[in-house]
Amino acid sequence: MTAFEAAQIHDASDVLLDVNDLVVHFPAGRRSGKPSFVHAVDGVSFRVRRGTTFGIVGESGSGKSTTAQAVMRLVPVTSGQVVFGNRNIAELSGEPLRAVRRHLQIVFQDPFSALNPRRRAGDQIREPLDLLGIGSRSDRDERVRKLLAEVGLPPQAADLFPHQFSGGQRQRLCIARALAPEPDLIVCDEAVSALDVAIQAQILNLLKRLQRERNLTYIFISHDLAVIQQFCDEVAVMYLGKIVEQAPAAEIFRAPHHPYTWSLLAAAAPPGSMRDELKRRYLVKGDPPSPVDPLPGCRFVERCPSAVEVCRQRLPTLDVVAPCHYVGCHRSAELAPPTFDSR
Amino acid sequence: MVALLEVDQLNVSMRSEAGRLVPVIENLSFAVAPAQTLALVGESGCGKSMTALALMGLLPEDFVITSGRILLEGRDILSLPARDMRALRGSAMSMIFQEPMTALNPLFTVGDQIGEVLRWHRGLGGAAAREQVLALLRAVQIPAPERRIDAYPHQLSGGMRQRVMIAMALAGKPKLLIADEPTTALDVTVQAQIFDLLAQLQRETGTAILLITHDLGAVGELANEILVLYAGRCIEAGASAGIVAQPRHPYTRGLLRCVAHLQLGQAPKSWTDLGEIPGMVPPLGARGAECAFLARCAKAADVCRSNPQPILEPIAAGHAVSCWCKAAVAA
Amino acid sequence: MTTLEAPTLTIVSAIDMPARRATSPAGIAMRQFLKSPSGVVGLCLLALIIVGTLVGPHLYRVDPLDLVGAPFMPPDSDAWLGTDYLGRDVLAGLIYGGRATLAVGAVAALITIAIGLLIGSLSGFFGGVVDVVLVKITEFFQILPPLLFAMVLVTLFGSKLSTITVAIGAVSWTSAARLTRAEFMRLRDLDFVKASRAAGASDRHLMLRVLLPNALPAVIVSATLAIGVAILFEGGLSFLGLGDPNVMSWGLMLGQNRNYILDAWWAVIFPGMAIFLAVLAISLVGDGLNDAINPRLRRRS
Repeated sequence: MTAFEAAQIHDASDVLLDVNDLVVHFPAGRRSGKPSFVHAVDGVSFRVRRGTTFGIVGESGSGKSTTAQAVMRLVPVTSGQVVFGNRNIAELSGEPLRAVRRHLQIVFQDPFSALNPRRRAGDQIREPLDLLGIGSRSDRDERVRKLLAEVGLPPQAADLFPHQFSGGQRQRLCIARALAPEPDLIVCDEAVSALDVAIQAQILNLLKRLQRERNLTYIFISHDLAVIQQFCDEVAVMYLGKIVEQAPAAEIFRAPHHPYTWSLLAAAAPPGSMRDELKRRYLVKGDPPSPVDPLPGCRFVERCPSAVEVCRQRLPTLDVVAPCHYVGCHRSAELAPPTFDSR
Repeated sequence: MVALLEVDQLNVSMRSEAGRLVPVIENLSFAVAPAQTLALVGESGCGKSMTALALMGLLPEDFVITSGRILLEGRDILSLPARDMRALRGSAMSMIFQEPMTALNPLFTVGDQIGEVLRWHRGLGGAAAREQVLALLRAVQIPAPERRIDAYPHQLSGGMRQRVMIAMALAGKPKLLIADEPTTALDVTVQAQIFDLLAQLQRETGTAILLITHDLGAVGELANEILVLYAGRCIEAGASAGIVAQPRHPYTRGLLRCVAHLQLGQAPKSWTDLGEIPGMVPPLGARGAECAFLARCAKAADVCRSNPQPILEPIAAGHAVSCWCKAAVAA
Repeated sequence: MTTLEAPTLTIVSAIDMPARRATSPAGIAMRQFLKSPSGVVGLCLLALIIVGTLVGPHLYRVDPLDLVGAPFMPPDSDAWLGTDYLGRDVLAGLIYGGRATLAVGAVAALITIAIGLLIGSLSGFFGGVVDVVLVKITEFFQILPPLLFAMVLVTLFGSKLSTITVAIGAVSWTSAARLTRAEFMRLRDLDFVKASRAAGASDRHLMLRVLLPNALPAVIVSATLAIGVAILFEGGLSFLGLGDPNVMSWGLMLGQNRNYILDAWWAVIFPGMAIFLAVLAISLVGDGLNDAINPRLRRRS
């Protein structure tokens, strides 16, 4: 990934997380004698700058959640580096790994399975503090109260059990728990997708406020492009375990270069004649294929309206098309990007 | 045009553990004309799905219809015996669910499951049924239907399963199709395909669609009319263009303002907080006579606190709203 | 409890949750338990039996091993429930024997659960090679005919009550292990476990403090039922003549008097009834617990 590094214009000290050629394969039984693998994440590289939000967008099976959970070391990493603050945490285990965990926290999609049904809310927020031995006993209680207030819950909430909260309130608890060890990076894995729209707005506003106040860095995973556009500084589009396009949010929604990005944008465009035109020209048919033992060649080839012979034979590399804008498509130079003429 | 479905002052209650009747849906009235789409919109806990289940006669055992009428082509279906009601389901009206994963029987092939509906409602069997199933699979744009007809649900992707669900729902040639959040569980590119499919099938068959969703922004173009439910009460109803362009109830306005809108072809503006509706829907049993939205409403005035929920009053042609401050909100 | 669509469940739980009631999952389960008729009936019956065996000996001071009269004295003579083939008091046997029988049941169930929890949790938590090995061991014990295996153990180590108890535990832990393993595997992939791991929890903490409390309800139900099974097992062993002859138990009474059932039905029927009632009470309690634990906490998201 030399092109990637060459074009990296940011100051290296600014980079909080540097993921390098991350691979996560899961065994998927045997097929005709040979073991087969789910290529959940297949060589993903990206950098996240401190204090910014890195968005990963893609459909189910694209590997976006697995990428985030591999960065958190919650799923086993097959190969590759996850460099966090000058240390490759993909190699850590045991005590050093536990020590580094306080800097990385996660908020999950489903607020119902993300909380232990048998422990009081306050105890769950305290858990990271207890485990990491942060502060004295009374300090911790004070911290829990402060955290609850910060996510907009009353102090009495500490004594209640998860089933006594609504979905939105549970997600606030999850955020308070993630904040407790004062992490640098929080992964938001579809953190608002399971919530009602009105509650989504509450949680997004809260996350943004916390980021401002605490200089937090987010990896924000979502399938909702409108949210990604407003929430993220940089966006990676994933398809079947690969990043197919990556660019600053300002760039990718103005001048997208990958046919898959075009399709996603067409599906999410605001209603109107522009959307009808986009859908007609760019919306792909069918569903994403299986990530088990993918064929050689571009992952998107089966659904891509512009596929040619070379796409079936060779996997495209990520090329630089503009500063910080990378595209993995053989035909990115020749295909004309869509024009967004809203009038 | 005469209505296909008419719901008149429908009240549904839940029997609580103490045996008390707790209102779930209150005084709900609406009508759907043939070949039209009505969207029921609201947050979870607003009674959208319960309305659908009440229409289908499939309410869970603790829920009862306490008063009101449901007329399908002028016939009161609430007074029908269970046998006649069963015959209506699947033929006169059918339903597609949110989770295509769990709504199909995993032990039977797609062809068997659609074929069964054909046998029940259209008396088809054998080769004729198979021919029809293939035609239906083709209609819902499943590629290679000859192969997929003998597939089991687990062999299909989520989008494909939802297409099978739609084919099954259409097998009995229903006049009314109830779609309960049909795309929530699907990927975005697949969602767009399913919405397009529903619109196209409606043009071809003239089926009326009752679309249940929590996303007011997404249904604007698909629905002819929109009905906004809040805490089991209809708080705004009317033609969809009017509601999306000029929402009059503070809740409807909030719902529209709280979603991010994709802006293409321009650099995004720096983050501005989304308009949020504070708090949450009052739970069942905690709903008083006054306006249900009162506790969350930024515009609440004394008149709202001292009076019961206002009736749904027309404020323009084909646009009604239930709000004491409707004049002030409009300004 | 009706099964409802997910959104309604939130609402339903919001209604029946006035502040004055217990709100912890255990508290809710307790309230549910006290509402189930079978659980309450079972609990009362069980309490009656336990109190009887605890208080009985102080009220009815007859040594169950003493020969108080002629053999085969029918009930309603000097001995209220008659005497057995040696002339021992049947009522005294029931009262004292209950202690031994219930103790064997409880201790054997404890052993069952302890081994089952240990094997099952290690197997379910670590997976991989650990799981393969432990499952093989479990399967080995599972295919042994339990009664035969217990008989071999008792024959080898002598028919003492302690040996019998251990033997029962040793043959019946496999189902508890399988249950625990399944629960741990189900829970292991839930987000709150990942969240704890992300917070820096060690394997020990995850197993003992996060997974175990969540797996415990199911295990408690099976432990309750295991007591009943152990009591029946003890009865079965004694019936085959492998009971401890020096300690009176219901099983022993049954075993020793079975040859004389036509001459003295009371010496067999009464201990038989006692075993039946005790096991019935325990199953009812187990059913009640099961109903109390399952509806609310197992709900889908």
